[in-house]
Amino acid sequence: MADETNELRVRLVTPERILFDHAAAAVELPSKSGYLEVLYGHAPLLAELGAGDVTLHGGPDGEQRYNVSWGFVEVLPDRVTILASDALKPQEIDVPRAHEQLDRGIKMWNEAGDSEDAYTEALRVIAEAEAKMASAQATH
Amino acid sequence: MANVLDLRRRIRSVKNTRQITKAMKMVSAAKLRRAQERAMAARPYAKMITSVLESVTRRIDIYDPETGNLRHPLFATREEKRVLLVIISGDKGFAGAFNANILKTAFQYIGDNSTKEIDVEAVGRKARDQMRRHYPSALYAEQTDESGRKLQVRERKAPVEVTGDHPGLLEKLETSRVFALAQSIISRYVHEEIDAAYIVYNEFKSVIQQRLVVERLLPLMDIGRPEITGSAEPTEEQRERAAEAAISAGVPLEPADTKEADEEARKFGTAQVDYIYEQSAEELFNGLLPQYVSSMLYHAMTESVAAEHAARMTAMDSATNNASDMIDGLTLYMNRVRQAAITKEIIEIVSGAAAL
Repeated sequence: MADETNELRVRLVTPERILFDHAAAAVELPSKSGYLEVLYGHAPLLAELGAGDVTLHGGPDGEQRYNVSWGFVEVLPDRVTILASDALKPQEIDVPRAHEQLDRGIKMWNEAGDSEDAYTEALRVIAEAEAKMASAQATH
Repeated sequence: MANVLDLRRRIRSVKNTRQITKAMKMVSAAKLRRAQERAMAARPYAKMITSVLESVTRRIDIYDPETGNLRHPLFATREEKRVLLVIISGDKGFAGAFNANILKTAFQYIGDNSTKEIDVEAVGRKARDQMRRHYPSALYAEQTDESGRKLQVRERKAPVEVTGDHPGLLEKLETSRVFALAQSIISRYVHEEIDAAYIVYNEFKSVIQQRLVVERLLPLMDIGRPEITGSAEPTEEQRERAAEAAISAGVPLEPADTKEADEEARKFGTAQVDYIYEQSAEELFNGLLPQYVSSMLYHAMTESVAAEHAARMTAMDSATNNASDMIDGLTLYMNRVRQAAITKEIIEIVSGAAAL
């Protein structure tokens, strides 16, 4: 089944622009409930993205990694479209800012009291900051 | 009668003005091109989020079949008593009637809905200045509830109040800031502080295709087909002026052809297959709806920025043309004055000679 025509077409779209539109062998996605890897012929799936790294395997420029936070992904047997609220290359991540964000998230967490919304929001901020820091570290 | 020296000085000054307006026109043309590109680049995402939401609402009932509750509070419709109006204007002047028209539309909307309580959210410096001048700011009083937590409680004093402004948002359009604004609007809607939200902005398809619209943001009803409650189109004459200005500045008149990309984007999440939904419907809506509202706002802002630059370009083109006309007129007059002076001198010499 695996010949060169069986390639996934992967697109990463952010509100500002289309980041890439390539063929790839496989793609790893950070869904909200954990990482998932998509190969050619995957069952149709619609999932919400969390914060983490999208990794593209076997693309035209080898392995490519992008840090994304929040969005959606549509998986079709031959096509994957990732709608991300924000996407960065690991080199573009501003580590001091991610640290600040983490501190802010922890502060929010401590001040949340018993409001459930505030906790969810704090968790989001923390998750995003941690994903960014992990992604930036993995390159060095 | 003015003397030649004065006229020459005057011409020089008008020439300087023409230099400035010409430069401003070229700067606006360049900024317009960039703004158009940005609006184009933002389209796939907006289209995709719309089509996926449309498909999800088609497949999943917005009411939970077991409990009969709405799956997301943003689908709830209430009688419009309190309305939020987001006004998107420009940051700077010198753009012809651009800001005046937006504010006129906004004031007209407020006038037409005088029975409702209206909150104004101003985006752009011109809107903020005008709205602040006309309407008081919203006041919040601090109260402590029974469990000892501090709460901000709104104290309404006037039917129309300004709840916030966003300086510098248009200058550097960042999706994260727009998203924060969308979040704040959504939270006000969910907490029933407002019953509806509208945006007033200048829609921009191309230099000659634009109009002023009042578009409903919330509640969400027909996804993908935003309801436009009021719109004003430019006159034929204005359109011709804009086209002339665009041609002389080298800006394309027609928008770039994006049909193919739009088609492609529309397919997102709408394939005729049964999807596995990783999350429950509530969670999907929870994630999708804020993104959708934010993308509508972002779209309105990118278009408004492009329209502002187009309006400034047209206005500056007119100013340049007017300056050229004025220089021509003044030059003619100056030559006439100079000729008159020469003639007068000759007559004096001749008549002096004749008197000898």
